[in-house]
Amino acid sequence: MRCVITALALMVIAVPAAAHHSFAEFDRTKRLTMTGVVREVQWNNPHTWIQVLVTDDKGRKTEWGFECGSPNMMTRTGWKRTTLKTGDRVVVVGNPLKNGRTNALLVTITLPDGRVLGPGDAPPPKPLKKG
Amino acid sequence: MRENVAVVSRAVILAVILALAGCTSSPNPVPASEPSNASRLTGVWVAVGTFDDPAGPAPWQNTPWPSNPPFTEWGAERSRWLGDIKNVVPCQPGGPIFAMQDIGIFPIEILEAGDRIVIKPENSALPRRIFTDGRGHPADLEPSWMGHSIGRWEGDVLVVDTIGTTGRTRGMNGVGSNARVSRDDSNPRLPTSDQLHLVERIRLVADGEILEDEMTMTDPKAYTAPIVVKHYFQRRPDIEVFEYVCNERPRNSTDVVETLGGEP
Repeated sequence: MRCVITALALMVIAVPAAAHHSFAEFDRTKRLTMTGVVREVQWNNPHTWIQVLVTDDKGRKTEWGFECGSPNMMTRTGWKRTTLKTGDRVVVVGNPLKNGRTNALLVTITLPDGRVLGPGDAPPPKPLKKG
Repeated sequence: MRENVAVVSRAVILAVILALAGCTSSPNPVPASEPSNASRLTGVWVAVGTFDDPAGPAPWQNTPWPSNPPFTEWGAERSRWLGDIKNVVPCQPGGPIFAMQDIGIFPIEILEAGDRIVIKPENSALPRRIFTDGRGHPADLEPSWMGHSIGRWEGDVLVVDTIGTTGRTRGMNGVGSNARVSRDDSNPRLPTSDQLHLVERIRLVADGEILEDEMTMTDPKAYTAPIVVKHYFQRRPDIEVFEYVCNERPRNSTDVVETLGGEP
């Protein structure tokens, strides 16, 4: 399977996915783009993780974990528990851990049907009125 | 014989019904000062802030946590201790402030139940119980993670007084506390001690769609002056509170990702 891992030193990326803990361990100046196959979706609090098997140009498989927001946040932004299933082919963009382990903070994921979802960043609240 | 049993059964049922009817005609235990809109607190609420905009949109904006808090010597040392990731205890429960200062990740659910109000934050296994039946704090208070809370109505404002926390909870902000206090999350951690005295003034604004929680935190062991913030929640009847089992997966325990690298 073709796998392109591109580390891009980008401008500071807007915001972390969630804040149950610090996200200092992720290098948010880098974005990796990977194509892979979903091995498992761990849909649970406080953070959902998506495990993706990525195969490089030489056929070596590496499992990457992508950390997302809470299931509640994700539900509010278009996700369902069943949105992804094992075996789905996806394109994932993430901010990798600084320590070199194969985990990343999810930035976007492109689903098999072409939809692009984020890590669950809550949308701005509805307009608030003074009252 | 069977008929006798049936007659006795009917008599017992009738007696129970009459007893229940008697109960309903007894004086209402709810304090007379409770306003008519009291039950409107019941429901699911989500804090207005987001990661892009922790304060949330105007006019109901969360007060930022202080960047230069009035620490005592103990408070400053405790703040440094909390800021060291090595000292973070995975799945450490939060306290009553932790429960009320989220920025839109986890909702809270408020249930009004006559003589008490229960607040169940999604991010905590522990509920807050606020007794509104006029009782005071016990003289021999047993310290607890959420503390002991009593509430009274002042017009449309629910005034909640909380003491008796363990002092072992996480800080109010920063790593391990659920708050992102600034874009780079670099403000000092705000500890609390077993001397925390939290007074909240909770009211509904914006036609009942926004809940305001003004928190005054007095903790002479940690701070030389009170810290006052206002946090806002938006009513969200479209959302349900999820279960939250912190240690369901080791990688997902609070902050463990920093130390373990988030192994699956």
